[in-house]
Amino acid sequence: MINAVLVFNNSGQPRLTKFYTQLDTSVQQRLISEIFTLVSHRPASACNFLPLPPLLASPSPTPPGGQPHADTPSLITYRHYATLYFILISTSTESPLALLDLIQVFVEALDRLFENVCELDLIFNFETLHACLGEMVVGGVVVETGLEKVVGGVREKGRVRMRREVQGMGMGGLGMGVGVEGLAGIGRGWR
Amino acid sequence: MDLKATALLKLIYLEMFGHDMSWASFHVLEVMSSPKYQQKRVGYLAAVQSFRPDTEVLMLATNLLKKDISSPLPPTMSLPLVTLPHIITSSLALSLLSDLLPRLSHSNPNIRKKTIAALYRLALVYPDTLRSAWPKIKDILMNEEEDSSVTAAVVNVVCELGWRRPRDFLALAPRLFDLLVDGGNNWMAIKIIKLFATLTPLEPRLIKKLLPPLTNLIRTTPAMSLLYECINGVIQGGILEGTEGAREGEEIASLCVGKLRGMIAVEGDPNLKYVALLAFNRIVASHPHLVSMHEDVIMGCVDDPDISIRLQALGLGAGMVNSDNLIAVVERLLQQLRNAPVTTEVADDGRRHSIGVEPAADSDGEDPEERLRPTAEPQDDTPALPAEYRVTIIRHILEMCSKDTYANVVDFEWYIDTLVQLVRLVPAADQAGSEFQGDNAWDLSQEEDVASAIGWELRNIAVRVSTVRTEAVKAANTLLSVSGNDTMAPGGQRVLAFAAWVVGEYFNSSALSYAALDSLIHPKAQTLSPIVICAYLQAIPKVLISAISHESPIWGPERKTMISLLVARVIHFLEPLTTHPNLEVQERSVEFLELMRVTLQAIASHDVQNPDGPLLLTRAIPQLFTGFELNPVAPAAQRKVPLPSDLSLDTPINSDLTGILQRADQDFAGDTEAAEFDTFYNQRPIKKAISGPAIDSLPSLEPETSSYQQNDYTLSDSDALVRKRIQRRERNRDDPFYIGNDDASSGTSTPFHDVLRSTNGEDVDVDSIPIMNLDLGDQALVAESSDKDLRKQKRKRPKKVHITKDETIDNEASGFDETQRAPASELASQQRARDKAKKSLLQVDSSGLSSFSLNSSDTPASQLDIERQEAQDMEMAKALAEVERLRLEMQRASERIQATDGTPAEGILVKKKKKLKLKHPVGESQHQDETGVQAGSTQGLQDAEAAPVIKKEKKKRKPAMPDTNNEKVGGID
Repeated sequence: MINAVLVFNNSGQPRLTKFYTQLDTSVQQRLISEIFTLVSHRPASACNFLPLPPLLASPSPTPPGGQPHADTPSLITYRHYATLYFILISTSTESPLALLDLIQVFVEALDRLFENVCELDLIFNFETLHACLGEMVVGGVVVETGLEKVVGGVREKGRVRMRREVQGMGMGGLGMGVGVEGLAGIGRGWR
Repeated sequence: MDLKATALLKLIYLEMFGHDMSWASFHVLEVMSSPKYQQKRVGYLAAVQSFRPDTEVLMLATNLLKKDISSPLPPTMSLPLVTLPHIITSSLALSLLSDLLPRLSHSNPNIRKKTIAALYRLALVYPDTLRSAWPKIKDILMNEEEDSSVTAAVVNVVCELGWRRPRDFLALAPRLFDLLVDGGNNWMAIKIIKLFATLTPLEPRLIKKLLPPLTNLIRTTPAMSLLYECINGVIQGGILEGTEGAREGEEIASLCVGKLRGMIAVEGDPNLKYVALLAFNRIVASHPHLVSMHEDVIMGCVDDPDISIRLQALGLGAGMVNSDNLIAVVERLLQQLRNAPVTTEVADDGRRHSIGVEPAADSDGEDPEERLRPTAEPQDDTPALPAEYRVTIIRHILEMCSKDTYANVVDFEWYIDTLVQLVRLVPAADQAGSEFQGDNAWDLSQEEDVASAIGWELRNIAVRVSTVRTEAVKAANTLLSVSGNDTMAPGGQRVLAFAAWVVGEYFNSSALSYAALDSLIHPKAQTLSPIVICAYLQAIPKVLISAISHESPIWGPERKTMISLLVARVIHFLEPLTTHPNLEVQERSVEFLELMRVTLQAIASHDVQNPDGPLLLTRAIPQLFTGFELNPVAPAAQRKVPLPSDLSLDTPINSDLTGILQRADQDFAGDTEAAEFDTFYNQRPIKKAISGPAIDSLPSLEPETSSYQQNDYTLSDSDALVRKRIQRRERNRDDPFYIGNDDASSGTSTPFHDVLRSTNGEDVDVDSIPIMNLDLGDQALVAESSDKDLRKQKRKRPKKVHITKDETIDNEASGFDETQRAPASELASQQRARDKAKKSLLQVDSSGLSSFSLNSSDTPASQLDIERQEAQDMEMAKALAEVERLRLEMQRASERIQATDGTPAEGILVKKKKKLKLKHPVGESQHQDETGVQAGSTQGLQDAEAAPVIKKEKKKRKPAMPDTNNEKVGGID
């Protein structure tokens, strides 16, 4: 199963965090920063699989040659799109190449939903981002991989979203406010 | 309310950046219960992101969730379905199950598949879910009219459940097979293949059925992911083994390997390279010959710019080496270590080195890559190998070479040379880490440290391969002398301890005694780490003695001055160490210092005309360090030494021991400490010469405990303990076979030794008995295996190398098995315990599930089991009723608070915060206890009264635990 879905940008600021097990906020942050340090040092030509970060690797050293226990997260797959990293942490029961496809579907679905998606869209509409992920993965189990159905599923509620577009101006303002606040909290300028 | 929802949305965003929002959980609940969908959605999202197992308001949400699950609107309905997996607890699962089940037959496929996924997570925390849900899920799977995406979701869930209890899913195989053949959905096909890989070991007939479609898929599919999973399924499902020998078996094996090779060599996609290596890694354990055919591509991957790929290739390398390619592979890795700049070095360092590439290691793609790196990413530090990677390489090299007691190594001089080179390449960071652990982690850190791993190998070679012992000693000597000049890699310090031991133990074979002694008592050595100094201290007298005894035996004034000079230098080295902060170092240096002083006195007082030299120097001290040759002994051998029939551990060695001790105490009560020291140390060597039984020397030993050890032991210990300690120390000192602390086995035999000595008399040398026995018992085996080795080596190379095997007693197969198995199972249980204690962070605990059977008709559950189950259910129901009552109370209380809404929100907030702070430790400890989702019995935390509820639940869970473990082991392995 999939243990976590993370999206962060090139400077390590999270844009989406979804853990399918309950974790303390501080642990989540540590994990994100560990993965970010791993991922940001990789050249573009490298493969899309990460070694386990220390936080995940230390508790259960897998015996060499032996299969890791199927419950432990053992696979970190990532993909880099423009300014964003998409990370999937999963157990060995998932197929690595299929997970890469899954990220691709996720990004394509976002692209359809936002029409030429960029990082800003994800900040201002991160609720939609969550909804989209919710259409694809529920509780760590992949429930849908068809692009059309994912987009359709979000749009189904998207009507609701559009309806709110009226008060949506306010929503946009909120997004801006959130963006500024959130970034100020980290102490980094918005670019 | 709108304002609140907006604020909550902002909070969620901030939470993503690591700001705690647990204080707002009540507000989350409020927003969740809003009638407006948009607000509800925010509320649910907040619940997903912020609720933790110890969130107390979860209890209040049950009714809300129930209501929303049965909402007529699909969007509203899917909200709790998506949220549930994140917040589910076993009690919540129980109360929501009845509401979730009807959703499986909802008209909207979207709802159906989400329900299925949610039910899966429910089942993980509350296995009984499956009892009622499984038939429906199965119906959905079997229904061919069902929406394809729902089927896919079911397959996903079944696959997740499948590896936990594969036996229960065998019945589904025909339907899954159909889906695989004409499903047309790659994602689903991948999952099905994964599931079949776990099923085939249970049902060998499946292999035959699966082979044609899998072969077909491998040949035809354009999707790389499906191709890879097919190959993976073939490997993991044991299909390669299952079809061993058959024509199509070979066919598929070569087909798979060929495709994998294509993935590495042709496609050029790093991802494919990586997964192909992963697959090779799985094959290599069972079919090393298949993999070593593709050595060229794999070794190409070792030089890949990507660390992940390198690591995989490296692991593969260790699996596929044989005596033919070992040297080439290791040389190549060494080359890599040498060429890659250390993180701190300048980038073009690599280019400078690559000029001197050895022809053996020079192969395709190496040089261009070296040139490319500095130009391609000048700022990035990727070309520099991280320290961990270096460590991994070194470990792999050691592993490759030492595999099967050096079966692959034909040239040991080369190996020793490699080891010396490796020491120089040990990264510095590792040393810092091990240094940090301090001296209380002596044994632990020894295993961790790479440098000591190298040292261990060096020592191992010196002990086992007597023909290259001279070389090993020379190598160790070089290491020691290099350390004095500071040219050594900073990380390699630990190796010195082993080098010192080798030099000390086997020094007779070298003539460079004075040089070695020089480097050992070099003033720089005093700044080394305590563990190294200890080894040095032990080696110094040995080297000194061998240096002296190698000289001409005629004693004259010239020789007298020279030796006394040497001894004086040693004393000079030892003196500052007597105040060393480390106790072990202090103790040893004090011992040897006194010994040296006595020696100096003996030399001074000795008659110059006497040609024999002082007895102490020529006879007594050498005897301390010579004895039987050390042989490698298997770790379990000690246990197999048969108990002598006349052994009685209960008979006191001396019935009047306490009396003796008391007398001794009185005798020496008035003496000053210095006098005690003197008498003790002056008497000891004389005693050594006569070598009386240990017990006789007890009275004279007593002062020792009251001298420099006093503050540590004497005061607090009982008489018996003191006695034991004295005996042990004295015996070790008297024992000519006791060699340093490096040799653990001589220390462990002591209780034996003691008693045997008392019963058999002093003449019998008990220490040597185990070794003799071991030789006898193992003779045939050793001879045979070494014969094999020899034959193999003869073929390769004319030089014969005898590798000493571990000595062990093979009484008979059964006994052997028993002793082998006992520690194994012990280990396993320890491992399991550790697993439970330290589960990986993101891991979902499913141990409850693995003990659960899907349909009771499938697995023969005895009547008793069912009864017990029912009893548990009853208990659970009772507990739940209690919980429900408490929940209602809480709700009423909160309603009351809400009713008096006039009070400012801060007032409530503060109270909640306090509560949270108080409860956090409780919640955390519980979290560690049960780990993961299971820890979710949060309801108990809300009220002190609820504590018994938790207890009850825990109690109930406990008896189930051992069961589940057994099941797991049996089921999965």
